[in-house]
Amino acid sequence: MVWLTSRVDQLYSIMGSTEAADYALREALGIIREAGSMKELRRELAHFAANVIKARPTSALMLNTFRDILITLRSLEGGLDEAKKLLAEKVESWITRAKEAVERLAEIGARRIPDKTRILTHSYSYSVIRTLEKCVTQGKRIEVVVTESRPTGEGLATAETLASKGIPVTLIVDSAARFVMKDIDLVLLGAEAIAANGAVVNKIGSSLIALAAHEARRRVFIAAGTYKFSVETVFGELVEIPSLPPSTVLSRDELKLLGEDYRAWFPLMDVTPPEYIDAIITEMGMVAPEAVPLVLRELYGAWPPRLPDIDELLEQLSR
Amino acid sequence: MFRVPEEVASIARDIKGMKIRGAGKIARAGAEALKIAAQRYEGPTDPERFKGYMEQVARYIVSTRPTAVSLPNAVAFVMKQLREAAGGFRELVDTVVRAADDFIRNSLRAVETIGRIGARMLRSGDTVLTHCHSTAALSILVTAKKTGREIKVYTTETRPKFQGRITYKQLVEAGVEAIQIPDSAVRSIMKRVDKVVVGADTITSDGALINKVGTSQVALAAHEARVRLFVAAETYKFSPASVHGVPVLIEERPPDEVVPAEWLKRNPGVKIRNPAFDVTPPEYIDAIITEVGVIPPKAAAIVLRELFGYSYEAEKLVLVAAEHDEAGVYY
Repeated sequence: MVWLTSRVDQLYSIMGSTEAADYALREALGIIREAGSMKELRRELAHFAANVIKARPTSALMLNTFRDILITLRSLEGGLDEAKKLLAEKVESWITRAKEAVERLAEIGARRIPDKTRILTHSYSYSVIRTLEKCVTQGKRIEVVVTESRPTGEGLATAETLASKGIPVTLIVDSAARFVMKDIDLVLLGAEAIAANGAVVNKIGSSLIALAAHEARRRVFIAAGTYKFSVETVFGELVEIPSLPPSTVLSRDELKLLGEDYRAWFPLMDVTPPEYIDAIITEMGMVAPEAVPLVLRELYGAWPPRLPDIDELLEQLSR
Repeated sequence: MFRVPEEVASIARDIKGMKIRGAGKIARAGAEALKIAAQRYEGPTDPERFKGYMEQVARYIVSTRPTAVSLPNAVAFVMKQLREAAGGFRELVDTVVRAADDFIRNSLRAVETIGRIGARMLRSGDTVLTHCHSTAALSILVTAKKTGREIKVYTTETRPKFQGRITYKQLVEAGVEAIQIPDSAVRSIMKRVDKVVVGADTITSDGALINKVGTSQVALAAHEARVRLFVAAETYKFSPASVHGVPVLIEERPPDEVVPAEWLKRNPGVKIRNPAFDVTPPEYIDAIITEVGVIPPKAAAIVLRELFGYSYEAEKLVLVAAEHDEAGVYY
């Protein structure tokens, strides 16, 4: 299935996990619309879900949204048209929910950032960018320093976006984070996933910046909606950190220069321990990372959350 | 008015343009430039005129990289002998040539000696992390391999100029197992690392290390993970100026090293900061490996007293090298 691979491939090039999930949800709508029978609907949607989760294995948002959609899919009984309608509503509600959550957390986060603050951020996060934009809306004069974020370099997109909104922005190499830390008032990062103990999985380099902030007694805030909390980690699952093959990071000329058997390790994410994080800014308010279980209980109505295992769900649906 | 011979100007350009990299190579290039300047001198053969010309050349060379402490040291080493020399024009030229050759020979031997001493501090099975490209640090890693120690080395890419790629290639050529990582991954890798070995651009009299930007966060991550950090440094990396209270300027380099000029043109609202170095405090350094032995960082003053003494003449000498007075970050 060529079209499916190309749809999933897009996920690698979409930088923030919020945007990646948004893209996947819109693609899912297409699949729902195109399905010709219940059997096809179940098979295609489950197959697509399995693929997007695999394509973005660290994204708790991807897993949480698609698990919820699959639960709906599993419970469907009536005719095809009715099923398509219900599923499309489910998917659309997730698209709206994610959007609204970011707006809400950005409002809260911006409130916490004082006037004349110099903020360091890393990589590209939609939640971070919205929070910074809200600061400006609230009349705060902020300055932003952003790292280029090798190996994938999304920091450039962050710099471009912020500069286009008139926010003063300085770009540095990743190695200069500790060098600039004394000139920084606080660090604001996004998240790919938040684990049960409050540890934050985010773009590689985040934990080093958090460590340098901790050393310099600068506060570290994480802007992330509650849908980024990884339910799996409550049950002891470890978040796997994927790495990129050098051929996707380096140009052909660079690879030629470095030789055929060039050995490199380009991890995509790292883990920041909760000790280095002051607060997580969610749409349900600001919480200390250690208070993650509290939020999960509110969110899922119970602690520990009772949710079906994603692998079991996928297996039942592809049967 | 003085005319710099084209060969000397070309060396100065290469130092400034970072075609000549690594403090050892810069220092030797500086000594070599003085030697050539003396040999190519075409002015009046009056000894005082010659000395005056050499003073100007010395300042010209030092000004190409004000923060590369080895450069003023190399120049000071040669110039000190010229200043103290008596005799006619020919003898003075010979003095410069001899002093430059001495410096180059000693400097080359220093790297080898540091390699021998440092290799003893590594064990077979050790995983080592290094940052940027340092001839002295590389000498330790390659000597370790040559003396039968099977080590594995992670090398950072070292943005913006990717000097880590040179380290990677040279390690592979020497048969050392090498793996490259992006600079952002140094904390992630630290749990798998036994020892960190880095080079030095400058060591101040209070034991702080000024080295390629990123070094201080490598050291911080090593400290957090209780991984030992060794600095490989020839004694001419120790800053005599710091003894006399002269702060070290942290050089900031052009923005187009970080992003292409076209990108900058497209994004006029984005400022670039491109510091070439950062400062690692002595608390994060376990030992400095020099060609005269291993010392704790806070004992830097011992090396400085031994090498340059403490006198009015020494002070005057370092103030010549410290003449630059630019805006910027100082340590």
